[in-house]
Amino acid sequence: MEDRVFSSVHSTVFKESESLEGKCDKIEGYDFNQGVNYPKLLRSMLTTGFQASNLGEAIDVVNQMLDWRLADETIVSEECSEEEKNSSYRDSVRCKIFLGFTSNLVSSGVRDTIRYLVQHHMVDVIVTTTGGVEEDLIKCLAPTFKGDFSLPGAYLRSKGLNRIGNLLVPNDNYCKFEDWIIPIFDEMLKEQKEENVLWTPSKLLARLGKEINNESSYLYWAYKMNIPVFCPGLTDGSLGDMLYFHSFRTSGLIIDVVQDIRAMNSEAVHATPRKTGMIILGGGLPKHHICNANMMRNGADYAVFINTGQEFDGSDSGARPDEAVSWGKIRGSAKTVKVYCDATIAFPLLVAETFASKREQTCEPKTIA
Amino acid sequence: MSDEEHHFESSDAGASKTYPQQAGNIRKGGYIVIKGRPCKVVEVSTSKTGKHGHAKCHFVAIDIFTSKKLEDIVPSSHNCDVPHVNRTDYQLIDISEDGFVSLLTDNGSTKDDLKLPTDEALLTQLKAGFEEGKDIVVSVMSAMGEEQMCALKEVAPK
Repeated sequence: MEDRVFSSVHSTVFKESESLEGKCDKIEGYDFNQGVNYPKLLRSMLTTGFQASNLGEAIDVVNQMLDWRLADETIVSEECSEEEKNSSYRDSVRCKIFLGFTSNLVSSGVRDTIRYLVQHHMVDVIVTTTGGVEEDLIKCLAPTFKGDFSLPGAYLRSKGLNRIGNLLVPNDNYCKFEDWIIPIFDEMLKEQKEENVLWTPSKLLARLGKEINNESSYLYWAYKMNIPVFCPGLTDGSLGDMLYFHSFRTSGLIIDVVQDIRAMNSEAVHATPRKTGMIILGGGLPKHHICNANMMRNGADYAVFINTGQEFDGSDSGARPDEAVSWGKIRGSAKTVKVYCDATIAFPLLVAETFASKREQTCEPKTIA
Repeated sequence: MSDEEHHFESSDAGASKTYPQQAGNIRKGGYIVIKGRPCKVVEVSTSKTGKHGHAKCHFVAIDIFTSKKLEDIVPSSHNCDVPHVNRTDYQLIDISEDGFVSLLTDNGSTKDDLKLPTDEALLTQLKAGFEEGKDIVVSVMSAMGEEQMCALKEVAPK
């Protein structure tokens, strides 16, 4: 009798498990006995687990974005034009990459990683918030400093220091920005009145990139490389304050958002036969704006989200790629990853293992499809 | 050029109509030029230096002639134009049919280029008082080449 009870308990506790051998990757971290080898260390993340694995997968997905060519797809002869059947053309058609990021990342050193990508035309469309633009320009006029999260607000206010997390931006930086930008708005208004120029956020940003003329600015490189920078929320930041004040001095400057939504959605709609990929750092407007545009072409083919948002509150910022699939913003067949991590850690490491290492290998400029 | 060529008329035309003052020093009740109009300041608020750039003064003011509300935002270290506002009293001589009044100046000559006031109440009071043959002294406010009757009082006949 006891034997039967014993064997039933035994079989409950030691339930026979399904073998994962061959089906799943084994968990194995980096062995420092190999020495401090950074590329190998980064590659080991894929099998380290948790967010390290997610970052490893994100690196994988981005490399797939970069490696894809139209030549990889089988020709569907009825739908193809003659040009699209040509094999050297098919070898040249690459994935169109949308890069989105929030303004805090531009205040941080990630701005310089972004600048690298834009400088070498490694991304095709940029979407950001107003802060994401002005922080880049202001850094060309005066630097941002490292502070501390715990610095008291009232004390900082009395010293004229603005805190962004553990970064500090002196008020004077914004004064310099004002002195730099107001004359440019004056010129733009003049061009609007005399040459009938109709300004849009992206045109304004191209102009600012031209005017800043500084190689440390990603906006400058976006202008040089003809990469559009979309910022539909242009008034929500210091730049918006400048537009507000400028309207008192000399009113009449018009900035058309309708033209820009045409342009942004067209980037997605007319991407075909290229595949599209989204790399989105942070949440908010840049995340949604890029996903929404891709909805216009029945969904992106690749998506990498790096953010710290959680989905339990139903926010779009915290939503996983699978939620976007339900909207048609990402294809059901797409390769997607969300890395739950502060992008200041994850993004430079990701770029090291994708864009930068590929460039180091090939040392040839990316051809624009 | 010989000196005889220069003949200066003694009039207000050459005097400056405005003078500059730092925006941070203009107070409520003072005067300020906004969009070329002379105005009286009814509200000033200052925002400290910050994300929006330099410290700024936000003025809400009333056009002294048209009573329209105008507003402006100026960096507080910036200079604004402040109009010279003058008030002069004249004795009313006559109201002409084409809407002008005839006034007696201090030195005994007449001033005929002032229009009737646009303010309804003032206009009615003026016309009524004139019809009744009363002695009326009008106050004329002038700024930046514009002038307008702003008040009147009836003087008891001697």
